Amino acid sequence: MTQDKSVLIVGGGRVGFQTAELLADRGHKITIIERDPATCEALTDEWMATVIQGDATNPEILAQGGLEKADVVAGLTGQSGVNLAVCMMATRLSPDARTVARIDHGDGAGYKQFVDAIVYPERAGARVAANEIVGSDVQTLADVTGTLDIMEVLVEEGAPAAGKRLADVRFPAGTLVISDDDGERVAQPDTELRPGRRYVVAVEPDVVDEVMNLLRG
Amino acid sequence: MSSHGERSPEAELGLLDATMIGMGAMIGAGIFVLTGLAAEIAGPAALLVFVLNGVVTAFTALSYAELASAIPKSGGGYAFVREVFADLPSFIMGWLLWFAYMVAGGLYALGFAPNFLELLHVYGITAPPSEVGAVAVPVIDVGIPVGIGLAFGAVLLLVSLNAASTAASGSVETIFTAIKVSILVVFVGYGVTSPQFSGAEFQPLFPGEKTALSILPAMGLTFIAFEGYDLITTVTEEVKNPRENIPKAIFISLAVTLVVYVAVVSVAIGTLGSVGLADAGEAGIAQAATSFMPSFPVIGNGGAVIVFGAVFSTLTALNAVVIASSRVAFSMGREGQLLPSFGQIHHRFGTPFWAIIASAVVMLSSVVLPTQSAGNMSSLFFLLSFVIVNGSVIKLRRERPDMARPYELPYYPITPILGIALNLLLTGVLVVYLLRTDVLALLLSVGWVALGILAYYGLRALGDSEEGTGQQTAVAEDD
Repeated sequence: MTQDKSVLIVGGGRVGFQTAELLADRGHKITIIERDPATCEALTDEWMATVIQGDATNPEILAQGGLEKADVVAGLTGQSGVNLAVCMMATRLSPDARTVARIDHGDGAGYKQFVDAIVYPERAGARVAANEIVGSDVQTLADVTGTLDIMEVLVEEGAPAAGKRLADVRFPAGTLVISDDDGERVAQPDTELRPGRRYVVAVEPDVVDEVMNLLRG
Repeated sequence: MSSHGERSPEAELGLLDATMIGMGAMIGAGIFVLTGLAAEIAGPAALLVFVLNGVVTAFTALSYAELASAIPKSGGGYAFVREVFADLPSFIMGWLLWFAYMVAGGLYALGFAPNFLELLHVYGITAPPSEVGAVAVPVIDVGIPVGIGLAFGAVLLLVSLNAASTAASGSVETIFTAIKVSILVVFVGYGVTSPQFSGAEFQPLFPGEKTALSILPAMGLTFIAFEGYDLITTVTEEVKNPRENIPKAIFISLAVTLVVYVAVVSVAIGTLGSVGLADAGEAGIAQAATSFMPSFPVIGNGGAVIVFGAVFSTLTALNAVVIASSRVAFSMGREGQLLPSFGQIHHRFGTPFWAIIASAVVMLSSVVLPTQSAGNMSSLFFLLSFVIVNGSVIKLRRERPDMARPYELPYYPITPILGIALNLLLTGVLVVYLLRTDVLALLLSVGWVALGILAYYGLRALGDSEEGTGQQTAVAEDD
């Protein structure tokens, strides 16, 4: 079963951009709605997401973002009000979609009744948004100085590498499985990638997609 | 320094590499295998056949360029249509394209065999291809024609290579394409200067009962020669700065290919004559070369260079479609439109193993078809899928007008509508032609589409029952 999600991100600025980048590397399908033409151009240069230029609080623009197909809608603009409005419109128009809103003030607890998850960029930044969007099965653990991702990945039942010993799996170069299941020991060649268990993996951005395919299917 | 076996990640491709991938697919088997067949149907007007096909595909090329620049996904036509259309139409698109590539594989393998025999013949190892009969298989009491045996072997070899290791990188493809083009340049050079070359062979352009209309079925048949840019867009994710380089690569490769085709076909007809070319069939270009090239030391007969080029081209083109067909199946598996295992990378080989194996089965079965049927079916399916691609541009512009399109095709909506109309015209002509000459190909095509619709609803039912029993995340089935 494919684990790829269709994600609609509203706001392609600092937070939206980096979140999209992380998620696209993991093989998810990203659409970004962004108002500013210059930012849109920068986004299309990266060629990681379908870009819609316009104001997402306009229902016609929001619909162009492929709302009916989206698994997750994330409001990540710098304006909390816009983010909330977009999430609530999304809930109304596409009730099954998970909603994530970036809120820049207050403790945010009160917003929980309106959106599925809340993100504070000041505290957590784009990596947390990425974790929230895909759920708890893949978590980025640490910000390394460069672009390397260190993440904890739950091995999915039926994934190509599930149940295989590390020695039997040829990961792409740029991958290192660090921990034994559930982080008790450092991984060895005979470590088995058991489905349902979590492993800490260091991955270079180029190959995250491929590694996810092997571990998650 | 790591605890487990590793493979190297894929290299980034530049504009040159992307262009060469497109040219590699277009200037490959098509020119060697199909020239003879086109000459048989259209006479000296075979030249026009290739030119007009280039013009027809140019419209679809514009659509591909716009879609590739705006939709950040590899996977070619299927990925774009998946983005724009609902489940069933996008499934059909993938299903058509998958088949078109697989049968193209059969066609290239069938083109490889006579050229390989010609190569052996040039070196005096075997009798001329026409005189090599069936080889008796000792155990079972059946004779297998040598051609089919060779074609079968070629497919088997390339499928095993691709299943066991990641595909040859773009830079290898660049070298291969450069070799192919230089061999053709040598061919054209010798041909134009040879005393045999004569403009008289083009007069009359439509001999006997052939008319301007006989160009149309020949266009349908040879259309497959231009499927190269779907292939460019299947590797877009590996190309640097794709929003600029992909449209450029599409246009440059189409233009260069057209020039090469015109030059090669002119020389082939000018030297061998359209009748001689038609008689030579799949080995047409090779025989033309043997007739006018001088002898070289070591290599021997000058035609050997061209025959080698033909063998080499059919093999590299075969390799390209093995990759292309498995990528379509892989994308469909990822999207939950085929069995999920098709969309998975093999844990040891690092390749979309099951997608390659499934493609190989159909490719191997198509080897028993006559060359012409394989060409007909592949062209038919490429034509239909190009209709859908042009339709996607229109649908996407209407539904998502504010989408960022780094490349916008000119004269919208005239260009995509012309693309649809011309592709449909050729489809119609091809179907009528097949009704008269090749009902088998038509029946097989209809059968494949019917099988696809069955598979679609079968998989959907399977997905629904899984969703009912477990709390699995079967989102992919109903998105």
